[in-house]
Amino acid sequence: MIDKLTGSAGIGAALAACLLLVGCGGEEKEAKADKGEVQSMLTNPYPSTYERYASQPTLITGATIYTGTGEKIENGSIFMRDGRIEAVGPAGEIDAPKGDIVTIDGAGMFVTPGLIDNHSHLGVYPSPGFSSTSDGNEATSPNTANVWAEHSVWPQDPGFTRALAGGITSLQILPGSANLFGGRAVTLKNVPARTAQEMKFPGAPYGMKMACGENPKRVYSNSGPSTRMGNMAGYRAAWIDAQAYKKKWDDYLDDPEGKDAPERNLKNETLAGVLSGDILVNMHCYRADEMAQILDMSEEFGYKVTAFHHVVEGYKLADKLAENGICASVWADWWGFKLESYDGVPENAALIHAQPGGCTIIHSDSEMGIQRLNQETAKAMADGNNLGLNIAPEEAISWITSNPAKAMGILDETGTLEAGKMADVVLWDGDPFSVYTKTDKVFIDGALMFDRQNPEISPRTDFEIGQLDNTTTGGAGQ
Amino acid sequence: MRMLSEMKKLLAVTASVFCAAATLAVGHPAYAQAEPIAIINAEIHMAGPAENPRTIRSGSIIINDGRIVAVGANVTPPSDEFRIIDAGGMPVTPGLFAPVSALGIEEIGGNDEGNDRRADRGFPLSASLNAEDALNTSSSIIPINAAGGVTRAYTTPDPGGKLFGGCGMVIDLSGSIDPVTKSCVAQHVAMGQAGANRAGDTKAGAIALLRYYLNEARRYSQAPEDYRYMTNVSELTIPDLEALVPYVNGEKPLLVEVESAPDIRRLIEMQREFGLDLVLLSAREAWMVAEELALADIPVIINPLQNLPVRFEAMGATLTNAAMLQQEGVRVSFYDSDIGYTHNLRALTQLAGNAVAYGMSHKDALAAITLNPAIIWGLEAELGTIQAGKTADIVIWDGDPLELTSRPTTVIIAGEEMDRTTRQTMLARRYLDLSRQDLPIAYQGE
Repeated sequence: MIDKLTGSAGIGAALAACLLLVGCGGEEKEAKADKGEVQSMLTNPYPSTYERYASQPTLITGATIYTGTGEKIENGSIFMRDGRIEAVGPAGEIDAPKGDIVTIDGAGMFVTPGLIDNHSHLGVYPSPGFSSTSDGNEATSPNTANVWAEHSVWPQDPGFTRALAGGITSLQILPGSANLFGGRAVTLKNVPARTAQEMKFPGAPYGMKMACGENPKRVYSNSGPSTRMGNMAGYRAAWIDAQAYKKKWDDYLDDPEGKDAPERNLKNETLAGVLSGDILVNMHCYRADEMAQILDMSEEFGYKVTAFHHVVEGYKLADKLAENGICASVWADWWGFKLESYDGVPENAALIHAQPGGCTIIHSDSEMGIQRLNQETAKAMADGNNLGLNIAPEEAISWITSNPAKAMGILDETGTLEAGKMADVVLWDGDPFSVYTKTDKVFIDGALMFDRQNPEISPRTDFEIGQLDNTTTGGAGQ
Repeated sequence: MRMLSEMKKLLAVTASVFCAAATLAVGHPAYAQAEPIAIINAEIHMAGPAENPRTIRSGSIIINDGRIVAVGANVTPPSDEFRIIDAGGMPVTPGLFAPVSALGIEEIGGNDEGNDRRADRGFPLSASLNAEDALNTSSSIIPINAAGGVTRAYTTPDPGGKLFGGCGMVIDLSGSIDPVTKSCVAQHVAMGQAGANRAGDTKAGAIALLRYYLNEARRYSQAPEDYRYMTNVSELTIPDLEALVPYVNGEKPLLVEVESAPDIRRLIEMQREFGLDLVLLSAREAWMVAEELALADIPVIINPLQNLPVRFEAMGATLTNAAMLQQEGVRVSFYDSDIGYTHNLRALTQLAGNAVAYGMSHKDALAAITLNPAIIWGLEAELGTIQAGKTADIVIWDGDPLELTSRPTTVIIAGEEMDRTTRQTMLARRYLDLSRQDLPIAYQGE
């Protein structure tokens, strides 16, 4: 991902290190731009203040491990220390460190990377779902590339705690799909927090939400766009603007001496960030023919679609998606809720995966589904296997771990169980692809954030504390 | 393939004229079952009477003329005319029964042109609407759900702008042109927040309005001539008022959408006051009044996964709702209020499996999606268990029916094995190979 971040704006390397969100991983905070620095499209005025929580060196032994890299280790062990994975492998090959460590007997249990959902609206469409908490769609103009989802995220959304109990350790919060350009997405660590900044995944690139098809043309049917061709015209006009804006800033930054900085424009800052490759495009699209139009448009303006979302017709264009290195973020079996989703088939995820280089992601787009991404993956895998596609669970787990990490630009840090990565780890009380299996423990950066065996290691939001009896309701895992 | 099965159905309809009237009792046309079937070597779940279903580790099921003729460990096919289906030791269950859905009245959720599920807010009629009048027997969703093991569904209209949505029906998923098993079964009512939204934005308005309409309907039944020159009683037209009459004294059940424990208690009081027959829908806080519900003999249809405080009336939402209701002796069934409501009814097994993960027994969870809907809609004499004499709605699975990776291998509705080829399976197959062929993909089929 890092090599994608070489924007053409020629700012100094030292500044770039953090403003471009490169090399700021781990627990280091991202620096705000120094006073007086150019507030260009590349600065981040709302930096992550996430710090990992206290952890004990922890060894899980004797578990079945799906690494997220396609491997399955029977009778495997994993050792975590200081927020990072130190070693993963067959139990016999992991030297149990001496000293004060927590050892968990994982016999009969499974270990996977922390699950990652690249399509969530938690915090922006929280529970309770009142009109006063409906903060996910700035449906006032077809182009709201200027809005940032993180400015709507309510960290007290109880949905975050339920997702944690479902094994979600990182998630991308997207604006809704009312607009052609919905705004910036934000990637979060799923830790309870007072502020959105305290949840922001350090070093994660920004995403941007765009939407195809029925939604924008329905929302703006009076003022336009009211047709699919109107949608396309709307995107293209915006890209033309953004190209001009980017050129102005590139020229200025190449030689700022004695010149006034061009005027800032929030919409174009985000769009120019896409054009320079710093911001990853998440494109809501259902139909194969529309995706083909979007692919041509991305070539016309020189940007890349990182992931198509929903993509119920992904199986019709799976070859082209794979050739272009685009991930398809899908549900296991949702279909028919709109005409553009009428051709959905439960084999969709598996057919996309089956293409050479195919990248399937199972996403939730739902405060319910995010609690069971493992179950959705199991269904989609089974449907593929019934079609003869032969997908092993150790492969399918990548749909909710390494593949979304890749599409969110955080694969270097999380998404697989490999030495050196963030210790985002889920211990399951059985096969994660069984309906009867639950998470037992969820670690984020090595810190135990949810423990089904210990009610004290289970977060409860301000909204829910003191409501009813709290022994049966209102917490993670309940 | 599709053509063939259509032909078969047409032939079956013709044949039904000459066929025994026994199955007419359930209200669906008596199909002449093409061939008698014997399922052998089966792990039979929910076998026997509704009061005491049990599991037979290894047994056979004999099916003839649309009905189960015999079931048991020591049963053998009466003659070699019976087609043998060897279940290979795999689980066999009654067909899944969706306790609530919009199957057949909704093809596309989000588009008015593909959806007859509810009337617009301004439309004058409500309680008098009958789902059967909107039923699209050709809906592609019916065979897709049948392939997933669903053999019966209760289809109900939703309340539009008024408290009442109209009455629903039980249908079979055989693809028949006359699939109605039981007509106009229950009246759908919005209460709680949903009711408030339709009654002056206050729950008190919803209760007051419901009580007023029930009283008026009772009065109407006693003296319809008093209403001869009226067109409306408040927001109800006279046909709506008339439609409510069977519900006033509990002759038919009201299917009531409600969430909170206090709101449920209020309804229990009204049940006593009027002698209503109630079935609750959604009921996120039902576990808090489980004992009272059991005493009042009120079944609940819940989504067992609902665990978020989506409104103040749902602060008590919890994953243990199903298990706690069951423990107190409340009859429970499952539905998915989201995409599993109509298009993805196969989600029923996933819902049941999750209920097991949170404390319900496997047997009770399976009953919640087979037998209990049959009991709730008054069809347990015909459906819901694998018992001699009952209609043969039967599914053979390739593994634990509640597991995510299990699928039906055989689906039988009223004795007829379903063709599990659907629009979805055809689409998936047609795009299996994306390489360019001599003719476009549109020329490929099964």
